[in-house]
Amino acid sequence: MKQYAKDYTVGELMCVTLAKEIEDGDVVVLGSFTPLAYASYILAKITHAPNSCLLAYAAVDFRPFQLSFIRAESSATRGAALMWTMLEDLNSVHLKGRGDVEAISSIQADQYGNINLSVVGEYDKPKLRGPGGAGAPEVIKMHRKMIGYFPGHSKMTFVSKVDVITGTRYLIGAQERIKSGYRPGPIRYITNLCVMTKEEKDKPFRIDFLHPGVKAEDVVNNTGFPLEVPASIPETEKPTEEQVRLLREEVDPYGTLNFDFKPGKERLGYLKEMLNKELQAIGYA
Amino acid sequence: MPIENKVGKLSDITKIIKDGDKVAVGGSWLGGHPMAIIREIIRSKIKDLTAITVVGSIDIDLLIGAGCLKRLMFSFVSMEAFGLAPNFRRAIEKEGLPYDEITGLAVILGLEAGGRNVPFLPYRGPFGSDLVKYRPEFYKSIKCPFTGEELIAAAAIVPDVAIIHAARADKTGNIQMEGTTGTDIEMMRAAKKRIVSVEEVVPSEEIWKHPEKTKVPKFQVDMVIEAPLGAHPTSCAPHYVFDAWHIMKYMEYSASAETFKKYIEDYVMKPEWEYLEAIGGMRQAAILRRLAREVKFL
Repeated sequence: MKQYAKDYTVGELMCVTLAKEIEDGDVVVLGSFTPLAYASYILAKITHAPNSCLLAYAAVDFRPFQLSFIRAESSATRGAALMWTMLEDLNSVHLKGRGDVEAISSIQADQYGNINLSVVGEYDKPKLRGPGGAGAPEVIKMHRKMIGYFPGHSKMTFVSKVDVITGTRYLIGAQERIKSGYRPGPIRYITNLCVMTKEEKDKPFRIDFLHPGVKAEDVVNNTGFPLEVPASIPETEKPTEEQVRLLREEVDPYGTLNFDFKPGKERLGYLKEMLNKELQAIGYA
Repeated sequence: MPIENKVGKLSDITKIIKDGDKVAVGGSWLGGHPMAIIREIIRSKIKDLTAITVVGSIDIDLLIGAGCLKRLMFSFVSMEAFGLAPNFRRAIEKEGLPYDEITGLAVILGLEAGGRNVPFLPYRGPFGSDLVKYRPEFYKSIKCPFTGEELIAAAAIVPDVAIIHAARADKTGNIQMEGTTGTDIEMMRAAKKRIVSVEEVVPSEEIWKHPEKTKVPKFQVDMVIEAPLGAHPTSCAPHYVFDAWHIMKYMEYSASAETFKKYIEDYVMKPEWEYLEAIGGMRQAAILRRLAREVKFL
């Protein structure tokens, strides 16, 4: 009998939900340092998916490590089975559609499977210049699944049509994907409110699970495009006591995964607190 | 014939990097950027550069803030968890810095095409992306001559100069790296000239002990510069981590164009050894190295 945790953060809930997307044996890619995704993959690796192959920075099949804000790159490098270049990475993983999961996030996402990491506003006169997409605009097409995580589910993020299509899933239905040499898989977004999925080009995103305490109308009212709302939507499975213990004591003792959920003005303070804990752990400060 | 010696001083970079050059900047995310060379570019007042980066951060933001760029090619520029890159944003949103935003895979394949001496490389590229539409000079839709399949051609990228940071080299220019290589090796193959800063210059005997660590052969290197902690405040994995404390300071200074001038004065317009003193000297270096060593596996 699973013992569900009574006390958990929304970050931890999203983290264990994302971890479920990793199947044993998956090739899992980590792009930029996104603590929630890192924590999910490492949790999956030490629990249900020990045969997954994790890739980060230049490190391939690295040993699962304890997350910290500042040491992820050194940890992945020191525990790597192989070190390679970005070109070898894309020759081996991306171009052949060999990747299974690489969770992305985006400034805007729309009902068509498009993401926008470029600009808000007009391309040549932006209100906000975003960071750009790095690998995201293309891996969302190439990898088996397109998985996105969004800590702030709102109409600002989930828009009817993105201002700029930095990248797109492009091939959505199974037939179309197979025909182009890619494996079929869903577009799935894990947010702070729900899990929603799109599997066919001409069908809308469907709400699959609602997080505890969230109603379907909360999701509908915070989404800028039409959703399929099934008559009965199950609740997202809560984290177990063991999962929360693993996250807090083993995988992420510094609390990096909650960083994305801190409001802007609390972030710097939280960051400084995490860094002090890291210094203490190595005997400084 | 004597054995060639490519070791130069930081101030020698002006022999290779000229105003108006296209400069490929190595490193990725908050790791392995050739920051000592970047600071020297600013000190030397080299200008009108076009910087090329795949995943840039403070390297590109600093070059922009110091006014060294006339154009930027990038797939990603961000200070990651510290926020969006402040000078990059300001320059594009307020000052209209011209740029070419290209998907990461197209930049990497473009550099590889440059290295292979072909005008493009085909792949199943970013169909449906607006970037393809906005920058047709870097993407073309082509038909496979064998199957008729529609593909994307990523245009070759040939930088005038590539600058990277590495762990060590011998004086002839064989370059060893043990951590994240990013696109450094592809940049070195593609560029017309190349400068590498290294943590240490070692006798060739040291290189021969570990040939598997050598990632760039000497004939792809024009100048080697010894610059200990030369990637600071970014990392040189697995030897030292990025300096989160300095980057927080950088973000404070970058709040406005005015205060950023003070950053350039306080940290850049001084010799490299004074920079290393200003960021906390030996004690800070020891902390960053220790953090890189003390990792915990589960």
